[in-house]
Amino acid sequence: MEDFIVFLVRYLHVLCGVMWIGILWYFNFVQIPSMAKIPAEQKPAITKVIAPEALFWFRWGAAGTVLFGLILAYMNGYLHQALTLQQPNIGFGMWMGLIMAFNVWFIIWPAQKIALGIVEADADAKPAAGRRAMLFSRTNTLLSIPMLFSMISAQNATGF
Amino acid sequence: MSKILVSLPKTIIAGIVLTIIMVFATNYLEESNKSDAEKLISDIIK
Repeated sequence: MEDFIVFLVRYLHVLCGVMWIGILWYFNFVQIPSMAKIPAEQKPAITKVIAPEALFWFRWGAAGTVLFGLILAYMNGYLHQALTLQQPNIGFGMWMGLIMAFNVWFIIWPAQKIALGIVEADADAKPAAGRRAMLFSRTNTLLSIPMLFSMISAQNATGF
Repeated sequence: MSKILVSLPKTIIAGIVLTIIMVFATNYLEESNKSDAEKLISDIIK
């Protein structure tokens, strides 16, 4: 029974992770590069409809990934060893994931709320908030490459 | 740093470079975390 619960938690961790990183890569590989090509009158479809919806699943995907990941590490008995880098193969990935989730909840989401007009802000604050959100979203894209390498190699490869 | 991040291709290259650095750091930490007995076994296996 315990094995099944560990499997279930791992499955939920991966499910939430695909949701999170999938939307992160949608933002960085599709939406941001396409914005300049979209006519001005069509931009509200992105900024008022698609982006707020995507950001909802993005931030809760991040929260679920971290929550189930920490539970999984605890159930497997390596939470402390990983976070103190005594098991660096998974530890580096966990720290990068935690930094990325922090960026999502405490930098990208507050900045996007200003940039998309979800909260009241000065007109001058919007471009700065948009740039801050973009740079930290790119930071997360950068970190996602080694983070996923760490997660997958800790499960499937030896010698790393 | 922001010059790298505004460019998607440069961001991806930086991510790959960071991955390589992480692999070396992981190997270094794993070796230094090993006890004397574990190091001896590793040497015998090699």
